[in-house]
Amino acid sequence: MTSSTSDVDVVVIGAGNAGLTAAVRLAQSGASTLLLEQRNIPGGCATSFRRGRFEFEVALHQLSGLGTEDHPFQIRQLLGEPGVLDRLEFVYEPDLYRVTVLDLVDVTLPADKTGVIEALAALHPAERPGVERFLDLVHDVFQEWIGFTYLGGSQLAPDEAKKKYPLFTHYALRTLRDVLDELFVSQTLKTVLAAYWPYLGQTPASLAFLDYAVIFEVYLEYKPAHIKGGSQAMSNALLEEFQRLGGEVRFNCAADAILTAGGQVTGVSTAGGDTVSCRAVVSNVSTPVTYGRLLDTGMPAAVRRDLDSRPIGVSGCMVYLGLDAAPQELGITASTSFCLAGFDHDRLGPRRDEIGEPRAVAVTCYSLGDPSFSPPGTTHLVLMDLHYSEPWTRLSPAEYLDYKFAYGSKLIDFAQRTFPGLREKIVEADVATPITVMRYLRHPGGAIYGFDQTPSESALFRSNDIVVPGLYLAGAWTGTGGFQPTLTAGAAAADAVLLAISRTSHSATGTTR
Amino acid sequence: MSERTAFDAIDRYAGIVASIAAAPPSQADELRATEPATVVARLHPRRLSLTVTDVIAETPTTTTLRMASIGPDLPPFLAGQYVNLFVDLDGTRTSRPFAISSAPADRGHYDLTVREAARGFVSPYLVRRVKPGDTFSSTSPMGEFFHNPLFHGDRLMFLAGGSGVTPARSMIRDIAARGGARRLHLVYGSKDPDDIIFRAELDELAHANDTIDVTHVISQPDHSWGGRTGFINGDLIAELAGPHLHQMTYYLYLSGPPAIYDFCVGELQRLGVARRRVRYEANGPPAEPQRLHDWPGHLDPAATNAVAVDGRGKFRAPCGEPLLNSLERAGYQLEVGCRSGHCSLCRVKILSGTVVNGPEALIRKSDEWTGHTHACTAFAVSDIEVQL
Repeated sequence: MTSSTSDVDVVVIGAGNAGLTAAVRLAQSGASTLLLEQRNIPGGCATSFRRGRFEFEVALHQLSGLGTEDHPFQIRQLLGEPGVLDRLEFVYEPDLYRVTVLDLVDVTLPADKTGVIEALAALHPAERPGVERFLDLVHDVFQEWIGFTYLGGSQLAPDEAKKKYPLFTHYALRTLRDVLDELFVSQTLKTVLAAYWPYLGQTPASLAFLDYAVIFEVYLEYKPAHIKGGSQAMSNALLEEFQRLGGEVRFNCAADAILTAGGQVTGVSTAGGDTVSCRAVVSNVSTPVTYGRLLDTGMPAAVRRDLDSRPIGVSGCMVYLGLDAAPQELGITASTSFCLAGFDHDRLGPRRDEIGEPRAVAVTCYSLGDPSFSPPGTTHLVLMDLHYSEPWTRLSPAEYLDYKFAYGSKLIDFAQRTFPGLREKIVEADVATPITVMRYLRHPGGAIYGFDQTPSESALFRSNDIVVPGLYLAGAWTGTGGFQPTLTAGAAAADAVLLAISRTSHSATGTTR
Repeated sequence: MSERTAFDAIDRYAGIVASIAAAPPSQADELRATEPATVVARLHPRRLSLTVTDVIAETPTTTTLRMASIGPDLPPFLAGQYVNLFVDLDGTRTSRPFAISSAPADRGHYDLTVREAARGFVSPYLVRRVKPGDTFSSTSPMGEFFHNPLFHGDRLMFLAGGSGVTPARSMIRDIAARGGARRLHLVYGSKDPDDIIFRAELDELAHANDTIDVTHVISQPDHSWGGRTGFINGDLIAELAGPHLHQMTYYLYLSGPPAIYDFCVGELQRLGVARRRVRYEANGPPAEPQRLHDWPGHLDPAATNAVAVDGRGKFRAPCGEPLLNSLERAGYQLEVGCRSGHCSLCRVKILSGTVVNGPEALIRKSDEWTGHTHACTAFAVSDIEVQL
């Protein structure tokens, strides 16, 4: 398929989740593909780092959308086609999560519908019907959304759509908070069921029920998992497959500019001074940087207008802990715990005006379900809460390191309310802040999920229309953030590229392949 | 007005569309696009451009190079961290990590204190030939050898040998500048009194600060030496630390020639000090790779093997030389940081053949599965093919 006039068919900029799946899909389809990565390792945030005897997972909390062998879903298919799946081993988590609110609530939701109902009905027997209704809504809104979006529903007349997708049209754009208020009296039940919000970055009052229903459903129906060897194992496996298929990768090679001629992408120049001509570019770089810094013509007016209504999303602070005790000795009973400082999630969210105190902390422990994840008798633990970057970028360089460690220490203090004695078991510990994320991913705001995932970020409003012919974007900034969305976004971008290339090949040569 | 579509059947859809349309124009679009580069340049630039402003003779074999930034302000660092300094010598571009010996509060310059190694390649040049006005490039400060307030307590001991004292000087000056509760006792072993680096300054800092103690230990004293003699050992550590040694939050830092690690770690183990309270960072690749566990018994480290670089060329190199050094001498430029197996910047893939790594190499599990290694601590014990 290589064009005689360009060096390669496609240049993929960035070897994050979306860049990797795009590159594999392109190479698999015979497109000559060059993958550029500014760092020395594939994965973007899907990576790990070593400290002493420990290897810390950087970003993956719970992989969604994999499904089981008997009940496969999107990611299993996505990784299975190119044979990446065979190189990976997954560990399924029996629970969705555990929630603690100070010492007032401590409840664990198993990763199955009946288990969730029983766990919550045990707290508030009278509200059992509400719990059942919530889980039904999650399921039905998810299913109706698929029908509406992928099975022709959006082509219907408004009245027909309303009739055919009654729950979707009624609930999709209500906030999670509205739906919880409608279904429950107990604040505890609302708090426990909304605990996944940190995976989307918005608290219930500014989160579309649709977005929450999707994430809740994919975890509940298809089970949360993690990967032996961490997300780096998946990144490495995807890159191996890309290279096996003949793809070329250049590490330590940042893109400097996306080159155009006559409004059409013609190539990419690298920070090292090379120029590679190509017919299409898949950018796994953030939307603002792709258009505002890489594109040689500067930011197109349409993009500028689009960005006006899209605030840069949340980043986070992470404390990576290697602990000299087994998870059981530390009181860790679930792979994922959300530790909260109060019941009202909307008061626990990240702020743009100050760093503040830890209020909603996700605690992830892979050693519990997979003792091989850290040395025998030890625990790998990651504490994480959400932050906007502004208070961090306002710090002077002289202040930054002190604030970084001081906040890390507060996260440990906070986690110790649920897991006493963590600190004295520390063997290795490091902290990451929004600045750290910015350093490694080069995302504006150190954003981990792209733009703020408010209701207006839903795919119902934002299309990934091509602004510059030949330039395709894929990653957290083109849809929902997180592993499943970015992995699928890359493959989808590759499909769009392949379709466009095949069309231009036809029109140019008048032949079919 | 446009025709109503299925989307209009969704409650709240029209309102959100209107709110998107009503968003006021932002002035910040370009700013967002350049923010990552701006922030990273301030805190974690990939390279520093440095100029030597002073060359300070510390001892007959030790020189401090005072380096100021040619470009923007120097980034902040934690006392104990190092920079990897690039040098071009005899046609080879290589680099060596040096702990910053100046205080974190002094952001106008970094002091790099270098002792001449007997058969060194880079250190004799730095100690003897560098003059004010010379320019260098380096990495940003890096490394994990620092007081980590997440778990290190406020009472600390620093066991230093020879030029291993350089990070201690930064830590001590940091403590003196900050005030506060942190206390550090430096126990510093030197061959003879003339070899003590920063002697007057350290003694002065100890005198002026209740929180700083300095104990010199001299292995080859002359008649004039009235202080402690011999080597740093468990008895001395126990005596100087007193009952604090067994507190969970008492931490010990080790820095010096490789022997000090092996010996002092053993001594501290004998004293019952938990391993996690003993902190040190590998300082270069194994000096004697033939003593590594996986080294083929018969193999002479001077023997050469063929190194093929995927798609780029082939050369021969002694198997006792770290792969990174061989690649650099053959003219290949790799990204590089610690040169001690930790930072993984020189991660490469071994396509065929066998390399042996020292225990200091911290290789990711999945990198082992895919045949990756860290070139700085890898030794090619057969002909190999490597992908950079």
